[in-house]
Amino acid sequence: MLPLALAGLAVALVWVAPRVLARRTSLRRSPRAALAAWQAASLGGVLAAVSVTPAALPAVLGREGVADHPGLVALALLVSAAVIARLLVSGHLVGTRIRSARAEHRALVDVLGARDDHGVVVLEHPTPTAYCIPGRGSRVVLTRGVLDALPDDQLAAVLAHERAHLRARHDLLLEFFTVLDRSVPPMLRSPAALAEVRLLVEALADRAAVRRSGAVATARAMVAIAEGRAPELGMSAGTSAPVRLRLIAAGPHSALSVVAYALAVLAVATPVGLLGLAWL
Amino acid sequence: MPHSTNAPRLGDLERVVMERLWDAATAAGGNASGSTVREVHESIEQDRDIAYTTVMTVLDRLAKKQLVTRERDGRAWRYLPADSREVMTARTMRRTLDDMEVTDRRAALLHFLDGASTDEIADLKAALAEVEARAAGGSAAPGSAPPPGR
Repeated sequence: MLPLALAGLAVALVWVAPRVLARRTSLRRSPRAALAAWQAASLGGVLAAVSVTPAALPAVLGREGVADHPGLVALALLVSAAVIARLLVSGHLVGTRIRSARAEHRALVDVLGARDDHGVVVLEHPTPTAYCIPGRGSRVVLTRGVLDALPDDQLAAVLAHERAHLRARHDLLLEFFTVLDRSVPPMLRSPAALAEVRLLVEALADRAAVRRSGAVATARAMVAIAEGRAPELGMSAGTSAPVRLRLIAAGPHSALSVVAYALAVLAVATPVGLLGLAWL
Repeated sequence: MPHSTNAPRLGDLERVVMERLWDAATAAGGNASGSTVREVHESIEQDRDIAYTTVMTVLDRLAKKQLVTRERDGRAWRYLPADSREVMTARTMRRTLDDMEVTDRRAALLHFLDGASTDEIADLKAALAEVEARAAGGSAAPGSAPPPGR
């Protein structure tokens, strides 16, 4: 019974939870808690999936029988190990690709731009844009265009946003979800989940910008940068900027965070508890 | 010890050397023939102490990264920037937006804004008006002070 419950939980957390969470747009108003719920759901899903076969052992063999069937025990552990190995391999592949892309880009930016003492690089380019290169030797990259287009308080908002990404290592969070996305079979993938996590990370960094320069300056910076994008650099539709602005307008909503944190604890504690029960 | 202090310095020197090469190319106009290690070294040495071999190493690294090209000229190499700074900057910026596969790129670099279509800019402006109205409403209620600057 317990192994079935774990399998069900794994499906619920890996397949159902992302689809439910992605639709709870009200959670966006407390992005930190929402991200905790997302992480916990994914982690809980992995834990549950890995626990299914170990939990099945005492149920199938009986508690005393486990010692008599080393082959079955090994097989059960092998299944769990395969799940973990799958995660590690895609983690390694994604991580290596991302890191080498970053290193290559950072080297270019360092040669092309002028860097100050605070890790801010300015590229001589008229398109107003700002981004950060996370990881070791992180950089915030600004263009001449953004320096010219934004007054000081808006520029401070943009810097606060990028520094929040770097300080809180949002890149690791995004990498974690990218790895999970790659690890599950394509039919189980949820592009909406990845998009939602990405939006939450931006909403969280926007908070830092609002704390620094206020909502109006942050919002104006966003509009100015959106308008300044040259067509060849502009991307296709479907960006999160309008949603982010409306979140800034709405402001934080902390009551919801209690619900999200409760869900987070539940998502991790349940698989651990079920596995414990199977062996007690 | 020299190892740990060398790595970041080489990175900085790459920019210095590239700038000399760009300057030389600009000064020479259309018929730029490139600079030798000796010429680059002499140019940098006017401003700071630098070993000839360091310049050589840096140029070698830049060539490996394909930021400079080189041609044999007798017993020496002549180095030329692969492109102007403007072209290379524009290419680098474009690359941040479309070179990698979307998911990887979005995890590799975090952009303040992903870019927006014309429709979305209209949407953004409407949202900005909302933020401004809210801010004005919040601050104007108690004192109803006129907005600054107007």
